Amino acid sequence: MKLAEWTERQTGETRRAVYSFAFIDEGAKREIRRKTLKAVAIPGYQVPFGSREMPVARGWGTGGIQLTLSLIGPDDILKIIDQGSDDSVNAVNIRKFVRSVTDVETTTETAAATLIQTRHRIPEEPMRDGQILVFQVPIPEPLRDVEPSEAETRRMHAEADYSRMWLHLYEDIVKYKEITIGSRYPLMVNDRHLMDPSPIPRWDCPKLHQSETLYLFGAGREKRIYAIPPWTEVEPLGFEDHPFRVENFEGKTCRFCGADNAFLDEMKDEETGETVYSCSDTAYCLKVLNEKGADS
Amino acid sequence: MNLPHPILEARGLTKRYGDGCPTCFDHTGAAHGRNRCPDCGTVWACRDVDLTIHPQEVLGVVGESGSGKSTVLKMLHYDLEADGGDMRVRAEGVEDSNLFDLTSFRKRQLRNAVMGIVYQHPHLGLRMNVSSGGNIAERLLMAGWRNVGDMRNRASELLERTEVPVERMDEAPRNFSGGMQQRVQIAKALSNRPALLLLDEVTTGLDVSVQARVLDLIRRLQEELHVATLVVSHDLGVIRMLTTRCMVMKNGQVVESGLTDQILEDPQHAYTQLLVSSALV
Repeated sequence: MKLAEWTERQTGETRRAVYSFAFIDEGAKREIRRKTLKAVAIPGYQVPFGSREMPVARGWGTGGIQLTLSLIGPDDILKIIDQGSDDSVNAVNIRKFVRSVTDVETTTETAAATLIQTRHRIPEEPMRDGQILVFQVPIPEPLRDVEPSEAETRRMHAEADYSRMWLHLYEDIVKYKEITIGSRYPLMVNDRHLMDPSPIPRWDCPKLHQSETLYLFGAGREKRIYAIPPWTEVEPLGFEDHPFRVENFEGKTCRFCGADNAFLDEMKDEETGETVYSCSDTAYCLKVLNEKGADS
Repeated sequence: MNLPHPILEARGLTKRYGDGCPTCFDHTGAAHGRNRCPDCGTVWACRDVDLTIHPQEVLGVVGESGSGKSTVLKMLHYDLEADGGDMRVRAEGVEDSNLFDLTSFRKRQLRNAVMGIVYQHPHLGLRMNVSSGGNIAERLLMAGWRNVGDMRNRASELLERTEVPVERMDEAPRNFSGGMQQRVQIAKALSNRPALLLLDEVTTGLDVSVQARVLDLIRRLQEELHVATLVVSHDLGVIRMLTTRCMVMKNGQVVESGLTDQILEDPQHAYTQLLVSSALV
């Protein structure tokens, strides 16, 4: 549906006089778009924005929701993921909400979507040019764990002084013989800004490097927007003798689709008590299953 | 004597707290026995101090508490912003301009590349919750080292040099005695081979036998590494032991300077005479 058509409809029976298209008012959308453009212009830099009240509490994806609502048009096809799943409560509710204020089409297929909002995962299926992935971010500041003061972390970003984070990694290696950060792995973006990729697993970090897709990050509670534009250098921190590495699933496969090249969730089988694995990205799992079904 | 170019040249170092007034200099300074202007209340922590340090030289700054000697050192290390003055350092990769005018980014780079500092209190120079090896590695990381093995080798080499048991390298300095913390601090200061070493009351607060060992260590490192050093101390014994040339400060001004032996044996200024005659040993 074109925006004009939609506006047309507003005067008809389905009139929704109280809210504008996509819930937030046009002025706010413009502000968020402006901040988004700035974020794209300075990859990895956290741009402050006026985070609006949303119909869910801050900390439940309001940063991502505001980005989605300010970007979405009537022709978009929307997909919402929560930890890889299209069907968890957070994903279902956000999808319903966005649909109710925009009437856009929604999908669970990664390839079919033009706009994807995600919590803590990047889809397994490679994303392409023309798609946008919006992340919900709880803690946008990668240095927060090593430095509690906001004034100090801003100075550190301004001066590209990331020795504290490097020291943190060094201490990890001294204590545990390896870097123990599981999610929120610190990334160097465009050789300049240290960035928090939101709590995605290490598995997903390489997908941010030299990607075809625009990645946008929204932290509603912390009021920050940042971005990784397409074809940006993104390098996870690592030492020459202790390089960055992703999770190791060697010898493990998804118990549903049999995938051996996807990020797997570990769980206990309720009946037998044995440890089993399944794809964290449920849409991907389904796709592999369908393809297998078509083959046989 | 044909001296080489000084490695550090500072002119007119000034630090004040307050706005200053036209009559400030009529009331403050060593001649008036105070550094606070009675008219406007401005405190002149240090006023128009010049100093030069030549390669391999150890320069001492001595004076009573509040004389401005630590202020001088802190300005040189960018811990305090100078209100006036000009600093130049002759070392590789350092620009030939007033180093007080640099951006804070460049100042930090420069400080990490050419200076090493040892504070009186180890908690100022060390991260007490990070391992001793990590403390040393921090400076190396700032300088762009990215190999854990290399950093650990360098750290253990330095700890050995400063007589800290290498097997305690992965322990936090929090667990160490005062003397040992001070030695870790010295190792950290030397980690990236600074052109200039700044020592701020390094032995104050240690008991005499530990003092003697730390002084011995500094003297030995001095002989081995020949690093140009600025020693700030109120202790004439430390100054006598470590330095060849020294300056005496009072109320923010330098009242006397020259060869250490000469100043201690034959003080000219009344204040220096008082200082020398008050020394316990």
